[in-house]
Amino acid sequence: MSVTEYDVVIIGAGAAGLTTGALLAERGFNVALVTTGEPTACLSTGCIDVCSCDENPLTGIKNLPPEHPFHLVDEKTIRQSLNYFQTVMMDMGMPYAGSIEKNRSVVSALGTFKTSCLVPSTMEAAPQNNTDSIHIVTFKGIKDFYPGYIVSRRKNTNFSVFDAGVYSIMSIASRFEDKNFFERFIIWMDKLRIDEDKIALPAVAGLESASEIVNSIAVLMGKPVFEIPTIPPSMPGRRLFNALKKYFRKKGGAIYWAWPVVGTEKTGKLIEAVTTHSEGRPNSINARAFILGTGSFVGGGLTATRQDITENVFNLPVHISGPRETWFDNDYFSLNHGIGRAGIIVDSSMRPADSPWNNIFLCGGILAETEILKNGCGHGLALATAHAAAQSCAEYLSHEL
Amino acid sequence: MIKTDVIIIGGGATGCGIARDLALRGIPHCLVEKGDFAAGATGACHGLLHSGGRYAVTDPQAARECYEENLILRRIGKKCVEQTGGLFVRLPGDSKRFREVFLKGCEEVGIPAEVLSSTKAFDLVPNLNPEIEEAIRVPDCSIDPFRLCLLNIRTSELRGGIIFTRHKVTEIIKAHGRCIGIKAIDQSTGMNKEIHGNIIINATGAWANIIASLAGSEVPMTLVKGSLVITNHRLTNMVISRLRHPSDGDIIVPNEAVCLAGTTSLSVEDPDRISIEYPEVDTIISEAGRMIPHFNNTRIIRAFSGVRPLLKSQKIDSHEISRGFRIINHENGLYSIVGGKLSTFRLMAEKMVDTIMASFNLKKTCETAEISLDGQEELSGYPLAKRLADLKNIVCECELVTRGDVERIIKQTSTRNVGDIQHRTRLGMGPCQGGFCTFRALGIMNDMSVISPEQSMEILRNFLQRRYKGIRHALWGDQLREEQLVEYIYLGILAMEKSK
Repeated sequence: MSVTEYDVVIIGAGAAGLTTGALLAERGFNVALVTTGEPTACLSTGCIDVCSCDENPLTGIKNLPPEHPFHLVDEKTIRQSLNYFQTVMMDMGMPYAGSIEKNRSVVSALGTFKTSCLVPSTMEAAPQNNTDSIHIVTFKGIKDFYPGYIVSRRKNTNFSVFDAGVYSIMSIASRFEDKNFFERFIIWMDKLRIDEDKIALPAVAGLESASEIVNSIAVLMGKPVFEIPTIPPSMPGRRLFNALKKYFRKKGGAIYWAWPVVGTEKTGKLIEAVTTHSEGRPNSINARAFILGTGSFVGGGLTATRQDITENVFNLPVHISGPRETWFDNDYFSLNHGIGRAGIIVDSSMRPADSPWNNIFLCGGILAETEILKNGCGHGLALATAHAAAQSCAEYLSHEL
Repeated sequence: MIKTDVIIIGGGATGCGIARDLALRGIPHCLVEKGDFAAGATGACHGLLHSGGRYAVTDPQAARECYEENLILRRIGKKCVEQTGGLFVRLPGDSKRFREVFLKGCEEVGIPAEVLSSTKAFDLVPNLNPEIEEAIRVPDCSIDPFRLCLLNIRTSELRGGIIFTRHKVTEIIKAHGRCIGIKAIDQSTGMNKEIHGNIIINATGAWANIIASLAGSEVPMTLVKGSLVITNHRLTNMVISRLRHPSDGDIIVPNEAVCLAGTTSLSVEDPDRISIEYPEVDTIISEAGRMIPHFNNTRIIRAFSGVRPLLKSQKIDSHEISRGFRIINHENGLYSIVGGKLSTFRLMAEKMVDTIMASFNLKKTCETAEISLDGQEELSGYPLAKRLADLKNIVCECELVTRGDVERIIKQTSTRNVGDIQHRTRLGMGPCQGGFCTFRALGIMNDMSVISPEQSMEILRNFLQRRYKGIRHALWGDQLREEQLVEYIYLGILAMEKSK
């Protein structure tokens, strides 16, 4: 078994884990991140929902139930976390639009409006109501985007189909990074003589340089252009993950990819190391503190059996609504499913409550009482709690010295 | 107005079987079904073509019928019957006396039953519980109930039968005390149809009394709900039953890529208001787990319930009520056919049509047991090569259904219902249970302009609500993860409106 030593080990490569990692690395700590693989952020729209149940996200947060983990983070930190995110993403060439004072809308692939707070600049031009006319450009053979859904819901909306020669979202996106392809696309677009106010395309405009690509189309066509997020695989989610990952590495963080944690070493009130499973041999990674950002069920932080719900890394006590009968409401759309409240309860220092560990800090979807879908607070909560966890962890590490 | 000789109400196995029988005897008929084919108990059973073994002890008459029909269906329906064979396994503690009665029962009925050592049984089904004492091999088979209905209907269609699905009977028209026709509403357009005929057959299973009451008649029945679960894996290639008195959770049936396990037995009042209870699911899984231990940790993709329309009986334990069938002549031109089971649907149809022929003094005899089911040559079964032929156009990754398949069904049936596409292509039958591909199927319908946006949103909402009813009882482990992702896709990414 090989042994490596760090100040902090982060478990989980989502927005919460990568942000905490970057913050701690910036403070000079030696940080490593272990992950089983791509995070659920890759499946997301890339939008930062802070609290979508009110026009103003901050008012929305104030109205959340008292047990919601957003209340563990003060308003100043929430603002700071979003500013920090926008600065990071600008730095990585993937600027985000929006403000914490007011939520905005993104057009969904069903033609409905999705409410969010910060959105990739490629979605900035999305209409905020039904007045603007739209011309949708879609791609031949693409199976997760059907312009019919949108065209039939909006007046003065039309669509055209471009044959990219490839048919999956990922391959079309990578074609967009090619200059010749882009030129061919623009020549074709030119011939359409688009009359509508705005141009929309499914979110396939490039892998990393989407912001530039969408901008170029807008400049060349002389009209606002925006992307419509698709169901997974989702390019904007992948771009978000790639940008945060690069930033974390740029700040000196190490990433252990596809290394699931299979065990822990403990002494007294401290976790000493996590054992990870990698090719050929187990690896023990020692650290003075640990950040748990493994997400909920989809992310792999929690596992449900017929009888119980468990936390997968440290076996922390999981807060659940009750026996299996209480996990799901009769009405699918009510969003009052007890399972949405499952997770780990933390104290104000983001340490797990009701457990002896002094050096574990939690952030993101693994927290209890989040009800992420109901409250529309996924990535926003991840960023805010990442700042709170990084702050507590840094204080702990400084005192310990 | 449509005029015909015989009106059949109900598109389950019995109704479809009657349509085929009438067609082969040259009698004009019209079948009316309120949902899709096999929407009631036919489609909500475990898809077992009984050898008769299960009833050899408790109901020799039903057992005999089952075995005879088993032989017939294996002959005439090769493409919808999988000749898996079945094992009745005896676990430690299971009565040895029952084994003796079972073997004796099989012998009396004439069902071939071979006693196998546990070693021999493992050779056949390696996933069996290593603790089993022995197994008895019988010719149980697995049958696809939906395909069975479609193939029976095919004969009727080829010979001029009139078929209406998604038509709900609202009225039975009477004149001088006799039933002379029905009124039905087309559930997709809201238009009314009037159909006149000389005879009306009520083959509506659990709904038989509701339909009979439209004619002022009555059908005494006991409605018994049975629940089942579906696994994501085919854990056995043979039907596995427990060698004991019929009771909850005693059967596992392989079907295509999955297994179905059940059942339970609980009396219910209203066939339209049934739900699965949590303890039922736990019972089925732990009982199935005693026969095949992998059941305890394999992924369950869905649970569902069906209602058995059994003949009225005083027996308290519904497992004990006869699985035999009865034809009731209401003496007003209406006949009801109730009871029975999927395995004996053809025999039920034969007896029903014989009764009508007798009342009209017609002589033509039944041919349904001799002639193979029509349309089987078009069935693909599950050949992977065929499904992978058009890889880049696959819209349902779980079941490898292509855009072309979906478009063909939409054109053929002019359906506005995702369920119709699911039944005919297996779209959405896999682990994600339509989470990804329903958005695509409706998108294709949108592109083909067969539905409006309001309709597509409504269809999507109904689909998700209905789908949830089945999967919410299987939500733990990976199925829960998948479900949370699907919920995020529809309510998060696609920002589906909750309601208008």
